[in-house]
Amino acid sequence: MNETMQRRRKLVETDAAAALIGEWLGDGDLLALGGLFKQGRPMALVREVIRSGRKELKLISSPGSGFDADLMIAAGCVAETFLPAVTLEDRMCPSFRAAAEAGTITAHCVDALSVVGGFLAAANGVPFQPVAAWKGSDVPANNPLIAPIECPFSGEKLFATKAIRPKLALLHAQEGDVYGNVRHLSTMTYADQMIARAAERVIVSVDRIVSTENIVERSRETTIPCIYVDAIVELPYGAHPTGSFPLYSIDEAHIEHYATVAEAVRRGGDAARPQLQAYLDRHVRGTRDPQAYVDSVGGAARMKELENEAAEL
Amino acid sequence: MTERPCTPAELQAVVLSRELQDGELGAAGASAAIPMAAMMLARLIHAPDLQIAGEMFVNPRPKQLWNSMLDDRALGACEAAETFLELFGHSHRGLDFFFHNGMQVDAYGNINLHHIGGTIDKPKMRGPGAANISYAATSRRFYICTGNHSSRTFVPRVDFITSPGYLDGPDSFRAAGLTGGPRLCVTPLAVMDFHPDTLRMRLKSVHPWSSPEEVAANTGFDLLTEDEVVTTALPSDRELSLLRETVDPKGLLRE
Repeated sequence: MNETMQRRRKLVETDAAAALIGEWLGDGDLLALGGLFKQGRPMALVREVIRSGRKELKLISSPGSGFDADLMIAAGCVAETFLPAVTLEDRMCPSFRAAAEAGTITAHCVDALSVVGGFLAAANGVPFQPVAAWKGSDVPANNPLIAPIECPFSGEKLFATKAIRPKLALLHAQEGDVYGNVRHLSTMTYADQMIARAAERVIVSVDRIVSTENIVERSRETTIPCIYVDAIVELPYGAHPTGSFPLYSIDEAHIEHYATVAEAVRRGGDAARPQLQAYLDRHVRGTRDPQAYVDSVGGAARMKELENEAAEL
Repeated sequence: MTERPCTPAELQAVVLSRELQDGELGAAGASAAIPMAAMMLARLIHAPDLQIAGEMFVNPRPKQLWNSMLDDRALGACEAAETFLELFGHSHRGLDFFFHNGMQVDAYGNINLHHIGGTIDKPKMRGPGAANISYAATSRRFYICTGNHSSRTFVPRVDFITSPGYLDGPDSFRAAGLTGGPRLCVTPLAVMDFHPDTLRMRLKSVHPWSSPEEVAANTGFDLLTEDEVVTTALPSDRELSLLRETVDPKGLLRE
């Protein structure tokens, strides 16, 4: 008699998250990834996309990307990239470079303002964002995301960067609750808040689920409210080998290991290809279980090292 | 000279630090250990109110230098943590100064990070691209800081202009509506500036361990060179001790 309605929980198990990726992302769709360069990247979910066997994906991200894009390209999931900078910072991304040079992917010539502007326009529900900052560069003439416009007030020549509405966004943060409220503990939230508002569907992995009371007590710290999140999944170390500060640091040694294997393939080594396949089999295709993944990259001992590194900063 | 008093990277950081003025607003991009060292050192020595603010952070306080200066290892402690929303304000309003690196740099300070050989659609060698290309156009000035000095990097004309320098010289620079432009190019061998009339790169000073001949031999275009080339002033004891003890205690720039 006095029973009240229960609110819908958006927390899903790993297998259900995989099923949702399969449902919400089709071959050829535009996929957005959160984080920046080597931190806060939704790596466990990215590995799920690779396991789903999706092909011909269009990939977009906050302006700085690297390891995850390279891994997806190595696994043959990607047809086009809309990524301003693709780098591991201390070295280039081998699979991205090889695929762009061989013409097996189209690496569109875009920059930060066009990508972030596209997210912002979509987040704001308007068709474009004006930009007035690209004089002298060859990028605008080659950038498929933009078109020239005139300021309706002054007549000044500007560019419009068109709203970007990804089919699916995958994000990673440190904490969230069962209803999909998300809290980044990292100093930086990158473009995650804009991407969450821009995408048709949003799946967020968090290192740990906290109580809704805890979220309410610290509401000013909620970085992405539940209204922009479709599913949330608890995946401890879900950003590995990228960092999830302040919980665990970047596993530079793992990224370096991958890059060395992928670089050998880029240098024309069909002989090296089995090693790359072995990497994918061992760390991506063979391990849906999050614990099995952690075990495959050094287990609790290695995670402890990365936690200590983050704590000492 | 038997023993170098400092490493090339340390000298690059010191040279750049002397350029930065108190009260200015500046930032650096990814892989920017030398520029970050320059900004930190300037704040300690002569510019306490130098403001460091990229898109996502204001006045970071890294305990040490990192190869990447764009993640929480370097930026975890800062006065304000912002988001990419700030990209638009910073990029449109511009900064007082910014720093660029490049796969190719040409005689007019144009920078290429996109492709070498072929076309952008069919590149022979595809580079990483650039996150933000705007600061070259909207900042009051920028500095080019490279990790090497070779004729592969310093080419007569870049294959693709990711970030514009002086384009083809004064007329094209003006015609494109650009202001600002590159102030100095600082490499492991030398410091270059740009001739005020032609805006072509010119040798300003050569580091004590190099020579005008070595610089010319490693530059893929005719570098304007005066008859008397001065030697780059070495770090003072104070500059070097603050750099080593406070800014870069782990010795990233000494590797």
